[in-house]
Amino acid sequence: MSSEQNLSADVVIVGSGVAGSSIANELARAGISVIVLEAGPRVDRQHFVDNFRNLENKPSYQGPFPSTPWAEHPPNQITPNKYLHTSGPNAEAYQQVYLRMMGGTTWHWAGCAWRYLPSDFELKTRYGQGRDWALKYDDLEPFYYQAEVMMGVCGPDPKVEDLGSPRRQPYPMEALPISYAAQQFRKLISEKTPYRVVHEPQARNTKPYDGRPTCEGHNNCMPICPIGAMYNGGYSVYHAEAAGAKFVPNAVVYKIERDSANKKVTAVHYYDPDKGSHRVTGKYFVIAAHCIETAKLLLVSADEKSPNGIANSSGHVGRNMMDHTGVQVTFISGDKALWPGRGPLETNVIDNFRDGDWRGDRGAYLVHMVDDNQVDFATQLAISKGYVGKALEEQIRYLASHTVRLFSHNEALPDPDNRLTLSTTHKDALGIPHPDVYYKLPEYTVRSCEHTRGLFKNLIGLMHGTDEQWTPGYFPQDHPSGSTIMGVDPKDSVVDGHCRTHDHENLFIASSSVFSTVGTGNITLTVAALALRVADTLKKELLHA
Amino acid sequence: MTKERHCPLVDLHVSSPNAMRLNRLMRMSRRDTLMTGMAGMGVLATGTAVSAEPATGADPELERFMKVSERLTDRPSLDPRIGQALYERILQSGPERKAQLGRLADLLAGGTYEDASAFAKAAEQSDPAFKDVIHDLMSGWYRGVANGKVVVYRSALMFDITKDAIYPKTYAAGGPFYWTTQPPEVDRPTGAPALSPSKFDVEPT
Repeated sequence: MSSEQNLSADVVIVGSGVAGSSIANELARAGISVIVLEAGPRVDRQHFVDNFRNLENKPSYQGPFPSTPWAEHPPNQITPNKYLHTSGPNAEAYQQVYLRMMGGTTWHWAGCAWRYLPSDFELKTRYGQGRDWALKYDDLEPFYYQAEVMMGVCGPDPKVEDLGSPRRQPYPMEALPISYAAQQFRKLISEKTPYRVVHEPQARNTKPYDGRPTCEGHNNCMPICPIGAMYNGGYSVYHAEAAGAKFVPNAVVYKIERDSANKKVTAVHYYDPDKGSHRVTGKYFVIAAHCIETAKLLLVSADEKSPNGIANSSGHVGRNMMDHTGVQVTFISGDKALWPGRGPLETNVIDNFRDGDWRGDRGAYLVHMVDDNQVDFATQLAISKGYVGKALEEQIRYLASHTVRLFSHNEALPDPDNRLTLSTTHKDALGIPHPDVYYKLPEYTVRSCEHTRGLFKNLIGLMHGTDEQWTPGYFPQDHPSGSTIMGVDPKDSVVDGHCRTHDHENLFIASSSVFSTVGTGNITLTVAALALRVADTLKKELLHA
Repeated sequence: MTKERHCPLVDLHVSSPNAMRLNRLMRMSRRDTLMTGMAGMGVLATGTAVSAEPATGADPELERFMKVSERLTDRPSLDPRIGQALYERILQSGPERKAQLGRLADLLAGGTYEDASAFAKAAEQSDPAFKDVIHDLMSGWYRGVANGKVVVYRSALMFDITKDAIYPKTYAAGGPFYWTTQPPEVDRPTGAPALSPSKFDVEPT
């Protein structure tokens, strides 16, 4: 039985993360045949939980998720890295981590489910910076809501706490009650600064939802929610399978085949772990393989007809790499005990710097007071200071109850020189090149980070903080975007406003790789909304053809 | 068709969602059966040799390790099962560790120390290399980590001394929204470090 006879569907999707699995679910429920090819393995949650508990370096978000030889992913954020090779003046700031696994990288996200602001889509028009998207906030609003319902997002009532992204419907669930530590932080900011702390919208259950339980506050959203109270892409995989979609794990796509006119994609080819090659045909194709792997696949597929890679007549595939660059500080508060780490990991945000006229000069940002259990950190710190016995125990209690961690998401800009290319020196077990990324922080982002440092210093002072530990330089927030940028002009962009590639009429991209700018909120909800919009387009074309 | 493949590092399975739920249920029921079985064995063996504690008397070096551990934690007793596991791991961290632990035990046996700090200070003064050995012991008992491996997680002393306020990650038991209540206040500590400070590198994520 040849694979060609079996592997054909109306829609073939590469990647099973939030984007790929949610499209598969929508299409399968509409009676459309779907095959999803996932490069990595299929593993269940309990295994990741066990891995976490046995992990010495508990803050390692990649630690519980070892990659396979045929679907490598970055082992950590360390430069140099065994998989993602970064270079340039700010190489460390682009050392992203992500997962190649069934369900994708949301196995270890914190569930932060922000909508972008209307201005995030019009940065060029409003502030003369970066680019405009080829769609407006209003085009995406219904799909934002659909994504919130799919994931189960809790958030504040806009009449009480307006987050700046207009809503036609309330959040599917009420906002999560914030921890005692976050309440104290919110009170301090409200009383001592002109700013505010808001409830972060989260894909986390504040009541039983979609067959998953209410959050119990295990404080382990990253790297793994032990009970499934937080959404991850795996749940969309389950729903899509129940609706009839076929998921193939360990299927590493390496070639995109087109017709003689080079206008339509006709098949994708994948390797199994033994490098046996398989061909999968379809009417439509969606690449939903994460920002870095999506660009890599388009470049790897270069051939005589498309010597610069698929969908790359503009030359912009792999360019315009963006992220939310982070500034981070940990310090010991001199005020009353907070005991961070009771409840979910990220629940509250200072949102005053998400938008303003100053965006003509410096990037926007938001600030998390991370509600992270600090007991292990406190123990390591106290031991390193030389304490033993009862004195050590007193230190641990004090440090664990008074440690505060702040970090920011600072906005990048699309710069074509920040570029992903194929490694000429490193290949994986299947002979596929690793990704290389050159990265130089835009001055716009550097100015934003400087502003954040000033804010953090003020906050440390307000909390009578000591023992400041600043994360050196700039660090990646694992929100890579821009590598197949969206635009109206095929000469300087890869996809149009519907995420259809300019070059190939039946090839779509569902990933943060299409972002034209990166805003400040975590990117996943926007990825999901764009993906659901792709599903809507495909349904219209397939069902009304 | 693609051959089903087992990953070398993680268990894979390709079950449907319902089968996955069923798997979980089956795992639970199997564990329950095992626990019931073990309890039954305990009943049958009452009064004979069944004990939660290993026969520590078999290894005098381990007993000396426990005495040093009790002094350095200022605790009258520690779990001997955890002690045995930590001792074995710490020995693997270097060929010199066994002799160092022996000499540390000799130092303790040969003097009187009013608390952990006094003993640790004396140890570092007698041999600067003892600082690393004491670090190994502190990391073992308080973090549950020895020679780069997790020996115990929930039972690490760092969670014992914070259990009135917070749960180990993945083991919360307060029910939804327990986190909104006020945790206990903690006074500023008065104790001083016993050992000279060491470099503390925050591990990367």
